[in-house]
Amino acid sequence: MAQKEVKGRIASVKNIQKITRAMEMVAAARLRKAEQRIEELRPYASAIRRMTRQAAEAAQGIPRLPILAPRETEQTVGILLFTGDRGLAGAFNSQIVRAGIRAGADYRAQGKKVRYYAAGRRGVSSLRFRNQEPAGAYEGFTDRPTYADARAIAAELMVAYVDGDVDRVEVFYNRYVSPLVQVVTRETLLPLNQASIMEDGEGADAGQAAAGAGQAVSHNGHRALTEYEPDPADILERLVPSYVEISIFRSLLESTSSEHGARMTAMRNASENAGELIKDLTLQANRERQAAITQEIMEVVSGAESLV
Amino acid sequence: MARTPFRVEVLTPEGEVFNEEVEMVSTHTSVGSVGILANHQPMLAMLDPTELRIHRAEGEVLSFAQGEGFLQVGASHALLLVDEVRTPQSLDAADLRERVRAAQDRVTQAQEGSEEHRSARREERRYGAWLKLLEGAGGH
Repeated sequence: MAQKEVKGRIASVKNIQKITRAMEMVAAARLRKAEQRIEELRPYASAIRRMTRQAAEAAQGIPRLPILAPRETEQTVGILLFTGDRGLAGAFNSQIVRAGIRAGADYRAQGKKVRYYAAGRRGVSSLRFRNQEPAGAYEGFTDRPTYADARAIAAELMVAYVDGDVDRVEVFYNRYVSPLVQVVTRETLLPLNQASIMEDGEGADAGQAAAGAGQAVSHNGHRALTEYEPDPADILERLVPSYVEISIFRSLLESTSSEHGARMTAMRNASENAGELIKDLTLQANRERQAAITQEIMEVVSGAESLV
Repeated sequence: MARTPFRVEVLTPEGEVFNEEVEMVSTHTSVGSVGILANHQPMLAMLDPTELRIHRAEGEVLSFAQGEGFLQVGASHALLLVDEVRTPQSLDAADLRERVRAAQDRVTQAQEGSEEHRSARREERRYGAWLKLLEGAGGH
């Protein structure tokens, strides 16, 4: 009887292992795609940077846009959490929610108001569970976010900032390092840091930026011939907000990579655990089978003995 | 007579959409419609939502739905940075109509001069332009 039960458990653990193995493989494939998409964003982002530098030079500076202006007093802080639509990814979702809630509590302790925004069903439902109704909930795309998704979030946050509903916006997301490591990252999105617009970008971008600067020098003679439609200052008025969009898109992609990486690791661990469980259960099944055989032999022997 | 070809690159945040030598590009900047040929004067312009037409060769025209973006024209190339480029086949008229309507609702509810008002107007323009593209193409 016990034997049958153990066999049933082995079968069900094996089924679970099949599922976790499949999920691991799916996550690995999606991770590769997500990493590729971070790469594909790079040329666009550096082209936007180059154009901004060119327009800013022509306009002799960056115009004073509302999204660049810090508030004198911060009454309300917007906190945007990047989570996933699904769970089963280790600490991926919970560590973001925890960090965001803690930051919100700190701001409230300072007497400020907090408005939460969340991308990903997990973040939205965690906030609701804690009675923190998000001012903006963005769901259904965290597996494969598009730029249009990022644009929609950016538009809503910039409207909230410019129209005075929030005086600062911070974002929390998992920065992807490797399938084993995702780092909770906290950044200020708004007001947009003016210095970050003109800087040459970090690491890999630096070489390209230097080349771009060289180009600017060699083209110096033709600068006057460039036609601007409309004025460079007006062009900047649209170029600068695209930094906010790109920043949100990058966070979404980082978060997606992290999610798939975390799920891959979680599922690999689950598969390994299932393997160990199967080994233990098989051992137990064998032991019980042997005990049953021994029992039967003893019964046969004692039966035979009684006949003699 | 064939025109001089020049390189046209269309780049979006989701990757390169187009990169080839072509004869002409016609699009819409914030100032008006433009047709770019080879050896155009260097230019930096803002692109508005419209139909982007790339004239590959005589009689061979590619059509895309273009979102907002920027156009940089150099001596022998044109770079279009666009936030969203869609093929007309991937657009759905009913969905666009719904988006235009939602944007119009936001426009009427928002206060004149607010950022919300401006933002809703831009949405309305984008999806309105794409809808026009789709309905115009359906008429042929």
